[in-house]
This record gives sequence, C-alpha cells and structure tokens, in this order.
Amino acid sequence: MDTGTKISAIAHVTLIGWALIGGTFRSEPLPFEVQDVSVISAEEYAALFAPKPAPEVSDTPATLDEPPKQEDEAAVPEQTEVEQPRPETIAPSEPETEELPEAVVETPDPDVVEEVPALDQPEPDIAALPVPPGAKPKPRPAEKVAPQPVAPPPPEVKPDDVETPPVSTEQGAETPREEQEQTAPEEATDQIVTEAEQSNELAPDRSPRPPAQRPRRPEPAQTAEAEEAKPATDDAVRDALAEALGEAQNEQPAPSGPPLTGGEKDALRIAVSNCWNVGSLSTEALKTTVVVAVAMNRDGTPVIDSIRMVDSSGGSSGAAQQAFGAARRAIIRCGAKGYNLPADKYGQWQNIEMTFNPERMRIK
Amino acid sequence: MMKFLTSLFLGAALLAAPVHAQNQPLRIIIDEGVIEPMPFAVPDFVPDSPAAADYAREITRVVASDLTGTGLFREIPSDAFISPVSSFEASVQFADWKAINAQALVTGAVNVSGNRLSVRFRVWDVFSGAELGDGLQFAGTVDGWRRMAHKVADQVYSRITGEGPYFDSRVAFVSESGPKDQRRKRLAIMDYDGANVQYLTDSSSIVLAPRFSPTGDRLLYTSYETGSPRIYVLDVNSVKRQVLPTQEGTMSFAPRFSPDGKTVLYSLAQGGNTDLWRMDISTGNSVRLTSAPSIETAPSYSPDGSQIVFESDRSGTPQLYIMPANGGEATRISFGKGRYGTPVWSPRGDLIAFTKQSKGRFHIGVMRIDGSEERLLTASFLDEGPTWSPNGRVIMFTRETQGASGRSTLYSVDISGRNLRPVRTPDGGSDPSWSPLLN
Repeated sequence: MDTGTKISAIAHVTLIGWALIGGTFRSEPLPFEVQDVSVISAEEYAALFAPKPAPEVSDTPATLDEPPKQEDEAAVPEQTEVEQPRPETIAPSEPETEELPEAVVETPDPDVVEEVPALDQPEPDIAALPVPPGAKPKPRPAEKVAPQPVAPPPPEVKPDDVETPPVSTEQGAETPREEQEQTAPEEATDQIVTEAEQSNELAPDRSPRPPAQRPRRPEPAQTAEAEEAKPATDDAVRDALAEALGEAQNEQPAPSGPPLTGGEKDALRIAVSNCWNVGSLSTEALKTTVVVAVAMNRDGTPVIDSIRMVDSSGGSSGAAQQAFGAARRAIIRCGAKGYNLPADKYGQWQNIEMTFNPERMRIK
Repeated sequence: MMKFLTSLFLGAALLAAPVHAQNQPLRIIIDEGVIEPMPFAVPDFVPDSPAAADYAREITRVVASDLTGTGLFREIPSDAFISPVSSFEASVQFADWKAINAQALVTGAVNVSGNRLSVRFRVWDVFSGAELGDGLQFAGTVDGWRRMAHKVADQVYSRITGEGPYFDSRVAFVSESGPKDQRRKRLAIMDYDGANVQYLTDSSSIVLAPRFSPTGDRLLYTSYETGSPRIYVLDVNSVKRQVLPTQEGTMSFAPRFSPDGKTVLYSLAQGGNTDLWRMDISTGNSVRLTSAPSIETAPSYSPDGSQIVFESDRSGTPQLYIMPANGGEATRISFGKGRYGTPVWSPRGDLIAFTKQSKGRFHIGVMRIDGSEERLLTASFLDEGPTWSPNGRVIMFTRETQGASGRSTLYSVDISGRNLRPVRTPDGGSDPSWSPLLN
C-alpha cells in the first residue's frame, strides 16, 4: 500500500468516525419547556391572597348546557344421457340434469379495466332525526343495516289540489325555478329487526340464560403497538444495503409527515365501513377476520392490483376468501374517488393494512 | 484494505438505515359494516338458436328469482344495463357494470338440440374484474329446464356467499283446501319455490307431518285413514306405500328418519302416556327410548345421529330436551318463559329450530344446541312446524291466520330473521318438510 492510499484511508476513517461519533448523527437534545418567572413584592403577594367576599349564590339553579353528544362512528361436457322416464305415477317426473365435472367453456381474456368508476362516496349514515332524551330507540325494519340508523325520507310532496291560473310571460311573471330532486340517504336500521322484535307489546320474553361467552375480540391497540414495536431489522438491512449499493438512488422518498390523527384514521375507517357489505356472506365467513393490505396512490385511490389478504383467522380458507372478497369490494368501491387522506402525510398511508373483523356484524 | 473500507461503509449505512425505514403500513380495524342485498346483474342468457330463445329467457328469470328470493341479492333491472351481452364468448366490459354498481354478473347461454337442452354460464366479480370459479354447463332434457335453472342459481349463490346450495330441492307438505271445519288435506310435493306442485294422496283421509328420508326418495307421514293415527312410508317415485307395524290399542305419530335412513323415531301413545320409540324399518322391531310418565314427542336426530332433541312436559310445561340416541338421561335446553315444541336439528348441527308459544303468540325461533343464544324469528297468531333448507340457512314453516276463514300458508325466513316471505302454493299449505339437495 503506498503512502497516498494510507493517507487517504486514514482520512476517510477519520471522516467517517467523526461523522458517526462527532455529531452528524447525534440526536437533538431533548426538548424542554421554559417558563417565565417574575418576582413580586411582599405587598403584591399579600394583596393577591387577601380574603375576598364570597360570591352571591342564587336560589334558582342555572340551566346547564347539555354536554355535546359524541356521535358514534358512525370442461367440454360429456353429455351423458340421463333420462328419467317416470312411469304413470302422480309423482313428479322431472328429467334429471347432470352436473358436469369440469368447466366446459374456455375463458375469454377478460377485459380488465383498472380504472375505478366514479361512484359517489356515500356520506356516513347519521340519523337526522333528534332523539328525545331518555327514550329508548325503537328498532325499525329496513333493508339496509348500517352502523347508524337512518330515518326514512319524508313522503313526497303531493301537488296542490288548488289550481293556479296560468300566468303569461307577458305579464312579467318570474321565470320558474328549475325543480331539483331532493335526495336523502338510504333508509337504514342499525340492527336486524325480526318480526318477533317489531312490536314491544308482543315481544317475547328473553331467555334468562346468559349467552355463551363470545371469543375475545382482538386487542387492536396492543396488536398495532406490538407490530410497530417490532424492530424492522430485516427491512432496515435490506434498505440500508440497497441504499449503500445505490439501488434506490433515483427514488424520491415520499413525504411522510406527522402520523395521522385519530380523526383522520376514523374518517378512513368510516369510509371503508360504509362499503363493507357483509349481507351476502356465509355464516362461516361472518366468523372470519381477514387482514387486507393495500397500496395507495397519491390521490387517495387504492392500487387495485395491490389488494391482497395477508392473514385470516376464525374460518376455513374458503370462508376467508369470501370475507376477503367482501373486504376488497369495500376498499375498491368507496375508494373510487379517493379516500380523504392528507396529501402531506402520504408516506404514512402509502401502505395500509385493514383488519376486517365481522364479529359485531354477526350479532346484529 | 478494500474489504475493510467496504465493511466500514456498510456498517455506516446500516446505522443510518432506520432513518429511512419508517414506512410501516398504516393499520386500521374495520368492525362496522353494512348488511344489505348485493346488487347483481343477470342479462338474459344468449340463445344459440331461435328455438332456445324462450328457454333462455325463462331460465334467466328463474336464476334471478332464486337469487333475489334469498334476500341476500338485489337484481339490477335490465333497463339500467349500459352494454348488452349478445355473445357468451365476448369479453365482459367491467367498466359498464361497475358504473351501474353491479357487484356480481352472471352471463350464460342456452342451446337446444332436439329434446336436449344445455345451459352454460359464468359468474363474474365485477369489481375485481375476475371470474368466480370456472364456467360450467348443465345438460338434460328440455322438460328439466327449471331444475337446470335452479342448479345454475345454486352455483352462483354458493360461489358468491360461500353457503351451500339449496335451490335444487323439493318440499313435501300438506295441501289444505276448504273451510277450517271441513278442511281437506292431501299430501303434496313441489319445488322449493312453490312451482310444480304434485299431489301424492287424495283427500279422503287426514294426513299429517310428512318427513323426507335423508336421500329424498321416501316420505314418512301420519294418516288417520283407519281412524287412529298410523305411520306410513311412501316411495316418492312410485307412490307406493306401506304402513309401519304398530301395537294394538296404540297411536303412533310424529315420525322422523335417522340420518342413515334405516330407523325411524316416533311417538307412541298408550294408556294416556306418550313416549319415544325407535323402529328398525327393515325388521319392524321397535325399542322404547323414554319411559317417563310425561308426554315425550317430536323427536329429531342430530346430523351425526348421536343425539336426539325432543319435546317433553316433564317439568310442567312443554320444553326441549336432548338425550343420547339410544336413550338415557335427558338434558333440558330451553329455559325461557313459554312453551316450546317441534324442535328440529339443523343440517349443520349447530342450531335447533323450534316453535314457541308465549303471551298468546306463536314464534319460530332458533337456539344453539346448549340452549344459548335463543332468537325468535317470527311472531303471529299461529306459526309452527319448522323445517330446514338443505344448507341450514333458511327455515320454512306453517303460518295460520285467525278466524273461521283462517288459512294455512307456508312461509320461509332466513336464520338471521330477515327475508320473511310466503311460499306460493295453489291452495293452503302446512307441515312442510324440506328435502335434501337433489342429485
């Protein structure tokens, strides 16, 4: 090794050592709060704590404002001849049909359109009618069962029986305003209302026996924390090596920004919930929790091809596939116009894992 | 030296790596959703020839009717379709179906050749742009077009929901006509949806409670043609029947097959007491299963044949009990206020359907086999006699209206309590028994 190389090596080692130890990667000092302190005199102190006359107490209680209510979140077939010639009986003589074991039609190349149609993102179902305090809400039968009940829309206004004489435009009549159709959220109830439950008077007595103990719900906070607490060593090594080898030099890191607030997460959760229809799921699929991963575009729309099931529990693989199908439809449908997510925090929601747990829906 | 420098550089990179490895996925939990019928589209199946046009249209209508009849699906009317399906082989324009919010799409074609008819179809998940399962074809004679339609609907239903099929099945029931005090009853059989009603007996004597065998080829029923109730076995295809042997001076009723179809459970009344008995059909030998002084009746096997649920008033009021199939100690499972009866074990084995009388009203309900999670699904003047669909998802029962002109009608309801609807029959109907899925 020549002298130049030695000098260069020593210089590099010194430089890197300085960078590691000397301060480049040194963490910032912990923040601390500073409070202003002012010095006051003894007289001022005495005046400050001097006894004061008691406030007047009115005999009439004041009306307290009601605390704001927190709204809930919301095969080419082998055509075997199967004839069923029934003799002269009065029993039904139906010809048998035979199920052929294999697919018989070649699959045409589906024209997969990755564009998500422009669907109106439904508003959260929030009851518009005030509920008198203390009154127990009476469940109503409705075709849709949603987290929040929605009252049926008011009946359409009937035309007035009184005829209005026509007014000619020559008399300076005002231009009639264009009629607008009134829209209302689809009627929904927050639980399945059976016939037996529609009338309180006729409602049967409940079994006094306690229901069977349900399985414990997953503890989201712990799970999330535990996942987050896992050292991302593998990823870190891979990323570091990739960066060290210059593989990702051209990639521009996404702005991560601060973590999403609880409200931002809730908005996303509610948006997906509004499209998560479990009405056509089998009873087994309704016992199956699936974890679905999805990559997001910067405009808030999901990357459809990226949607995949990363985990499932509680049911068979078939049930998990059914549950995954419902979850995927929910993500795509309500994300068609893009979820309302803060663009400056894209790095925080670039990849999302959604856990779809139907337990609460199963007992509706 | 180079190795040293490389190691040093990589080490520095490793130390710096956590700074960049911060993009963990955002995790959220969705535990609230909606329950509503899934919108689907089923354009008229494409006829391969003019002779197939009528069949194609009718088969399409039956498929749509089966699916919407479950209450789990909502058909999108054809008026809303953007692109017609004129060829079965043509690729699907998913964007057009997404635009009208069709979440599932069924396409099909019908071919008629002489007396032969074939139906081929595909099911599409519109929002994922993929086919659900493979294309399939059913073939048979033209007379069997309705069964083929049910089979297509069964496949669609199972692929989307994950539930077992049940459309291609039949229901035996008692057809009732005339006023209440002169009611004529005939044993009848029909498609599950009320079509193709055929009568198996005449109305010369009272018939009660038909019960299908596990293979669906035989029926047990009770007839009063000798003056007292006796149990008959009827071959559904030949309509030949035989009476089960019984003891003199006794009445036998409420029969039900065992899961293997070799034995029959029934109630036998003798000397003012009613107990449960089991008869070997091939030998006619009977074994007594209960010997309590109370009334035990309406037995029903568990799907594995190991247990029997039945009704007994040994506690003072009719309640539900479970005991081993060979008899033995019974365990009470119903504890609610009211009178429980006619228990029937679900084909899945997880639930028991029953009739309950409480506060002057009758209910059809379900409970778990340990009696927990009782849930009443209906309420009316008189609901009774539940029977399970082959997949254990739907219950059919009898509803009778009040008064001298009251009429018995068959109804069905989803086990969630939704989708309560009458089953249309030419006359009144009672005592339904749902067959297993047809072969």
